[in-house]
Amino acid sequence: MVDALAEIHRVLAPGGILVDARPDSRVPAYAERRKPRGFQRFGVVKTSRLELANDRASDRAIAHVVREGLFNRMRRGRFWHLVPFSSLAELRNYLREHLRFVHRADWVVDAATRKRHSNDQFVIRRGVRYELLEALRSPRNTSPARSR
Amino acid sequence: MSSVATNSVGDVGRHVPALASALRPSAHDELREWGGPPLVRGKRVLDLGCGDGRFALGVAQLATRVDGIDPDAEAIADAKRNARRTGVRNVRFATGSAQHLPHPDATFEVVILSWTL
Repeated sequence: MVDALAEIHRVLAPGGILVDARPDSRVPAYAERRKPRGFQRFGVVKTSRLELANDRASDRAIAHVVREGLFNRMRRGRFWHLVPFSSLAELRNYLREHLRFVHRADWVVDAATRKRHSNDQFVIRRGVRYELLEALRSPRNTSPARSR
Repeated sequence: MSSVATNSVGDVGRHVPALASALRPSAHDELREWGGPPLVRGKRVLDLGCGDGRFALGVAQLATRVDGIDPDAEAIADAKRNARRTGVRNVRFATGSAQHLPHPDATFEVVILSWTL
């Protein structure tokens, strides 16, 4: 990842902006039932262990190129994205086959409630994080090969 | 913080990476969160890991030029098809890897890694 970031720095004009946006595994995702007004939380959806490791590796790569003087951190934030489903069964199928999440939600409502609302519309509410980094003109010490 | 909702997409995106963008925020929603149109307006933009061109095509009307690179040839074929269908002229898609970009130094003002790193 560090060598890719060094290559990005090469093709960016000095002062250019790198935007790194990805799902935020530092916060859980939520399975929620859509109500006429608002949402009802049905469960918590955790990120898979492999994806957590991948995210930490990405974080380390960004930290490395910042430390090396290729980029300067400008601004970061998070927003919430809703992935819609027409029923609870559709949401469960999605989780079963999705690589990023664990395959089962930790339900916070009982089985009877889930069954009663199984044909309602659901969403997975997931955090998306982003960071804007500025390409610096003169890296203090560029050595991406060290951390490959 | 805001919430971004789209329509239900059924099976789309579960298995085919190139279609996974249907489950992601729209380009305009993402751009708004990052700071809005000024981020790309009049700029040369590189979308790395562009997939089927979701973001590149979404911001093409604002940017001077958008290049999309993705290692998945099938996704790039989809991106080119989407570009033809939407009539966007200032976007170029190519297969490639982020480690070896085919561009000269200092070609772009903005590089996007949207759900890529």
